[in-house]
Amino acid sequence: MVDPRIYDMFREIGSDLYSANMISSHGGNMSIRLGDRVVIKRRGAMLGNLKPHDLIETRLDKNDSGVALASTELLVHRTVYLNTPALAICHCHPRTAIAFSLSRDEIVPIDNEASYLLKKVPVITEEFPSGTPQMANKVATALQNYKIIMLRGHGSFATGQTLDEAFFWSSTLEEACQIMLFTRQINEPFIEYRKMSESYNKF
Amino acid sequence: MNGWNGKILEINLTALTYKTYPLDMEIAQQFLGGRGLGARLLWDLVGPEVNPLAPENVLIFTNGPLTATGYQTSNRFSVTTKSPLTGTVLDANSGGFWGMQFKKTGYDVMIVRGKAKSPVWIEIKSGEVTFHDAGDLWGMRVYALTEKLGQDNNRRNVLCIGPAGENLSRIAAIMNDRERALARGGPGAVMGSKNLKAIVVEGKERPDIADQDQFKFMLYETRKLLAASPLTSQALPEFGTVVLMNIMNNIGALPTRNHQQTQFEGAEEISGETLTEKYLVKNSACWACPIGCTRISKTEKVEGEGPEFETTWAFGAQCGIADLAAIIEVNSLCNDLGLDTISAGSTIACAMELSEKGYVDSELRFGRADLLACSVEDMAYRRDLGADMAEGSLRMATKYGHPELSMSAKGMEFPAYDPRGMQGQGLLYATSNRGGCHMRGNMVGLEVLGLPKLIDRFQVQGKSSFVILNQNSNAAIDSLVVCKFTNMGVADEYFARVLSAVTGIQYATGEMIKVGERVWNLERLYNIREGFTRKDDTLPARLLNEAPTEGPSKGWVVQLEPMLKEYYRSRGWDENGIPTPKKLADLKLADL
Repeated sequence: MVDPRIYDMFREIGSDLYSANMISSHGGNMSIRLGDRVVIKRRGAMLGNLKPHDLIETRLDKNDSGVALASTELLVHRTVYLNTPALAICHCHPRTAIAFSLSRDEIVPIDNEASYLLKKVPVITEEFPSGTPQMANKVATALQNYKIIMLRGHGSFATGQTLDEAFFWSSTLEEACQIMLFTRQINEPFIEYRKMSESYNKF
Repeated sequence: MNGWNGKILEINLTALTYKTYPLDMEIAQQFLGGRGLGARLLWDLVGPEVNPLAPENVLIFTNGPLTATGYQTSNRFSVTTKSPLTGTVLDANSGGFWGMQFKKTGYDVMIVRGKAKSPVWIEIKSGEVTFHDAGDLWGMRVYALTEKLGQDNNRRNVLCIGPAGENLSRIAAIMNDRERALARGGPGAVMGSKNLKAIVVEGKERPDIADQDQFKFMLYETRKLLAASPLTSQALPEFGTVVLMNIMNNIGALPTRNHQQTQFEGAEEISGETLTEKYLVKNSACWACPIGCTRISKTEKVEGEGPEFETTWAFGAQCGIADLAAIIEVNSLCNDLGLDTISAGSTIACAMELSEKGYVDSELRFGRADLLACSVEDMAYRRDLGADMAEGSLRMATKYGHPELSMSAKGMEFPAYDPRGMQGQGLLYATSNRGGCHMRGNMVGLEVLGLPKLIDRFQVQGKSSFVILNQNSNAAIDSLVVCKFTNMGVADEYFARVLSAVTGIQYATGEMIKVGERVWNLERLYNIREGFTRKDDTLPARLLNEAPTEGPSKGWVVQLEPMLKEYYRSRGWDENGIPTPKKLADLKLADL
């Protein structure tokens, strides 16, 4: 059983993710790195309603029996930890961002906050959308350069030093995409207010 | 014909003749193949007057509509008979290559009747059957015999018995492809009782597939899902089934020292992690299997397949032994002798407890790894206490006045899951039609692994519904026939769609599960006809009355009675566990 304080952190952020409509009832997953160990959500557990036994501790560098219980995306989380400085990962299904990922290879926010924080979010494609080494490598490679990336038609992977931080990037992206959607619905000429914004898509 | 070959091969060993005739396709569609079709044929062929080891008993080898199609794990087959261990209907199921090759001979079913005057072996090559004298093969062990008869995985496959089957051990397996086993319930003894040493198959016919495009799509989707599941893409390939050792131990549901405890202090030493680190040479796979859970392990003395989780547990925690090398070696020995490793290990554990308590005069003690090998040798050759152990734990413990020390249901020894820590597993064991078995609807998925979602393992109320659904689903999968591990990545609806694509007959998921329910009820009817009653749906007193005193399952015993009542009601059976006429009519079993 993991430390109760770690459980509290998972439970609070999992609940927030669900309340923010960024996951379905059993969707998404989160993990943190504890040295050579990973604590990750149990496969099929509800992020919005986590119990202490829903957190699985397993090794970072190789499999142990925890792999039989851990989230389907364990391989991605491990690969990211082994290839980036990340200490926490949040994977969720932000709906508006997923919708945009279906028609573009990168998402370039237009609102001030996300422009400042994210600049650009790459969209990557993988034939098998879940759990494969190919996907894990692509996500990890992308996260070497970006704090958050989108897997086309699937969802986002965000990294941070803490789960709070990874959640922040995730909710920032979704907020940015909602604003982009609203501006489309308003359908009025865009007034550029950001200097050098033309460089964002080269970020 | 799509999926099925449409042909039955019937062999009469008494006369050394054979005949072929069409498979009744109405029955085939209702029972599919494998376990279901075997049970339906056994109903007509073997009544309650037949002793399981008499010539009148039969061996019914069946493949299924998916066998040899190339669908993932479509390599499996069944043998159905009346069990010499339990007296119940018995189907044992195995992987490897033999089932695929048998389907390619052009038959769906092989019924073996009678008894040869002297030992024989049978060769089936593309429909032609040849009887060979096996006088010089009788007494041979499995590995040498398999090699001698020309095992060649994709071309020619050998199924045989070892000395345990020849000596009519009630826990003898039929072995195929050297180290795969139709293990449980003693089918090897039935084969031995018929003086049949081996069946070798070579075939060239591939089953037709009705809708190739849909079939290819399902192959693709299944590959994707198996790759995405950490169980089928990582846990099983890397650690094999032994990945469960630490998991079961951590939750306090690993039976230890003949179920006297529920946690084993030596679990780590016999875990999947240790097996991989110290003894694994590589993993291996059955025909058309992308999972590859088979271990190729090596010690100073042996190299070969295994051990599986249940084997490692039976000779390990159940016997209080933490010596993994000794377990690997005794697993290899059991395969060579043709013994069911679960029953063999658990029977030794029972003998250890009998011996420690002074009911049997023997050196056997928990933890004595040095006695494992000679114990299974004695079992196979019926020497000394081995003669009693060859009868299985219940007969042995009964002989020595303590049947309560046999950890079995209906006489079949339990596998590696202590039901005091998994209430649903307890109900499953008690109601299993072939006795204490985890392959009739394993609750580990739901109660431990969270497949598809985790349920409370100590919950009692409502648990029967989960057990029933799993039993029905497993009976359907056993009738297709595919490996249940596929079900860890692929849900039942995929199997229904594949079945539809292969046969051209539209099976909705519910219909396929209903086939499973039909099979389950038919098996129940068979056992009732054999004289089994409600009182046989029970567990050893230890599991009902003796709660673990420590660990995560502390204080729990199996709450069987309320679950059983609910189970009968949910099954549509009366309070004595007999299917009602309405239920039988609904399942098209009213005429039986």
